[in-house]
Amino acid sequence: MQRRTLLQWLPGASAAVPFNRVRLWAQPRELTPESMAVLRDVASTVLPASIGAERANATVERFIAWTRGYREGVPTAHGYGHPRLQKTGPSPVPLYVAQLTGLDAAARALGAAKFSALDLEARRTILDTSIAATAVRTLPPRPAGQHVAVDLMAFYFRSSEANDDCYRALIQREVCRPIEITVRRPAPKA
Amino acid sequence: MPVHETDICVIGGGITSAMLAQKLAELRPGVHITVVEAGRSIFDAQNRGRYRERALAYNEHPWPDDYIEDQQGSGTISMTMAVGGLALHWGGACNRFSEEDLRLKSMFGLAMDWPIAWAELERYYGEAERRLNVSGEPSPHPEDRRSTPYPQPPIPLSYNLQTLKAWAERSGLKFSPLPMARNLSPFDGRGSCCVYDTCGEVCPSGARYSPDYTFRQLAEPKKILLHDRTLVRRLVLDEKRSTIAAAQAWHQDRPGERIDYRAKVFVVASGYCWSSHLLLLSASDRAPNGVANRSGLVGRYMNGHSFIQAIANIDDQTFPGQNMTHSLISREYFRCRADRPFVRHDTRVWESSAGRDARLRNADGRLLLGDELMEDWRSRTKGSSVRLRAYVDVHPSADSRLTLDPSKKNRYGDPMPKIEHRFDEATQAREAANKEHVLGVFQAMAKASNGRIVSTSEGDYLDHPGGGCRMGTDPATSVVDSFGRTHDHENLFVVGAPTTPTGGCTNGTLTFVALTLRSAEAIARGI
Repeated sequence: MQRRTLLQWLPGASAAVPFNRVRLWAQPRELTPESMAVLRDVASTVLPASIGAERANATVERFIAWTRGYREGVPTAHGYGHPRLQKTGPSPVPLYVAQLTGLDAAARALGAAKFSALDLEARRTILDTSIAATAVRTLPPRPAGQHVAVDLMAFYFRSSEANDDCYRALIQREVCRPIEITVRRPAPKA
Repeated sequence: MPVHETDICVIGGGITSAMLAQKLAELRPGVHITVVEAGRSIFDAQNRGRYRERALAYNEHPWPDDYIEDQQGSGTISMTMAVGGLALHWGGACNRFSEEDLRLKSMFGLAMDWPIAWAELERYYGEAERRLNVSGEPSPHPEDRRSTPYPQPPIPLSYNLQTLKAWAERSGLKFSPLPMARNLSPFDGRGSCCVYDTCGEVCPSGARYSPDYTFRQLAEPKKILLHDRTLVRRLVLDEKRSTIAAAQAWHQDRPGERIDYRAKVFVVASGYCWSSHLLLLSASDRAPNGVANRSGLVGRYMNGHSFIQAIANIDDQTFPGQNMTHSLISREYFRCRADRPFVRHDTRVWESSAGRDARLRNADGRLLLGDELMEDWRSRTKGSSVRLRAYVDVHPSADSRLTLDPSKKNRYGDPMPKIEHRFDEATQAREAANKEHVLGVFQAMAKASNGRIVSTSEGDYLDHPGGGCRMGTDPATSVVDSFGRTHDHENLFVVGAPTTPTGGCTNGTLTFVALTLRSAEAIARGI
């Protein structure tokens, strides 16, 4: 698809798929099979291809497990200096399902069989539009329940594993390990 | 109404209480010691690995129910109220103050001298380090001489910190590994450090000292009685004498039933906030300004240290994430020549990834996806970020206060504390010069080794707070003597952070513990 065509489509599509006012009809407690399929499809765009399909798939499965493990109304870290009591918000699952439905619909509206069938710039534009409809401006330190694609990215890119991928070194930031290991320059990561 | 008779009633269950109870139980076995803590016991070390995982994954607080929602002060630095107190999730930093802290008046004409000789306090520092199993390296400065070695060797410097030490020392400053209460091998029922690197949140192995272990070790064999979830709301004077007759408390499950604790000695070990709060809250016809407050100084001279931070970029390559909770410290500016403008601060160095983390959009605002994001991230990891910080010695005025806030009350209708820090005139006068000096030190460190300071900031609260019941020899200008015994009531002690006249220029916990261990001997002698 030509970028120009996509841009022509977007104003109409945004009315049909209002990213900023997604109605949460069914309020699913878990990602539906359909939404998980879209998530796996979107993952191929937002996760690095360089980590390989196997690790990308494993990342998505762990992210799905993360959504299942989410607990609502649990106190979060109080903070230090200016502490305040906050609790985890509602499960992000209904929002994720709606956003994934929206991403899939946007791709289909452009004539693609699925999101990943679009060219990269079209996918970027759809994601950008979808993300812009939320309050997300930066990559959060962990999934924050605002946007499913950003949260999947945070899930990977904020991980100890991604830190090692970036530095191409076995730093193992969050891995329990003997302190003696830290005195040496981290071994290269294959 | 239940009445609980004991020899020593300790009010508060934080780190100073733990150390006090432990030492008293050793010095006077058979003496009945009861510790009363408003918060609950969280004796579930076996769950802490799971708590850590959920904290990392979901930002869940790793200490379930470690607070009391309606028992909160304004201006406090932590909400935690549980057995173990704030030291459930401290970082474990165990720096000593220096002699200058105890001699500010006589050496610099500032604030006041503490009523303790440095050589004496130094002995208790050694004991505190032994009990907390501190890992450290002797300071390179002769003024920091020690009478006893550290009980453990220093925490091994990570490759990153070795790199940063070489970088930082090109400025001429000497840096040492930060002394920390962190086991390098199993000790006292706690495991060794596995670099979970979440010391400040939760330590699954127990390597970082945590007072809940001590309380459990004391309570299970009944060396002490630990009454948790029990809030002491009033200290009551004896009808005939100027001593404390009882502490009136309420258990969380029985809000309509008062419990009276009767003891020979009462020790308020409730930290920088709740100690002064209890004394003020205990006002009566005979003590209209509160207990132990004939001087009018309870809740005054609240202290702590301000802090200035910077991020530097350097060319040397590090690998963020090796051991981010460890750091380097220079004690160079603990000293200040009397013929120079007064400025004292520690200088700290941490590995950092500031400005180099993965980001969603590039500088042009373009959404980054997949390998683009990884490449953008990787392109910004050449060289290193370094986090620098200085805790600056600032001195409180009498108006640096904890007061009772009538607009905020707990379930019993007690006004909650409100802390507002104020500096004395001399501190205010040198604020700008102090900041200029500290930033100059950071700039000099950067300049000496091809680094660039890329951002600076100042803390908007005082860290490691203390004060409110300051020690001294004159009952007109202090609340307690050097042992923490209140001038007004011979059987009432206040220990730890509240007794400090000034807040020093480095982490305070070791000092609070050392002072408390000294108090313990006086309390034991008097029983």
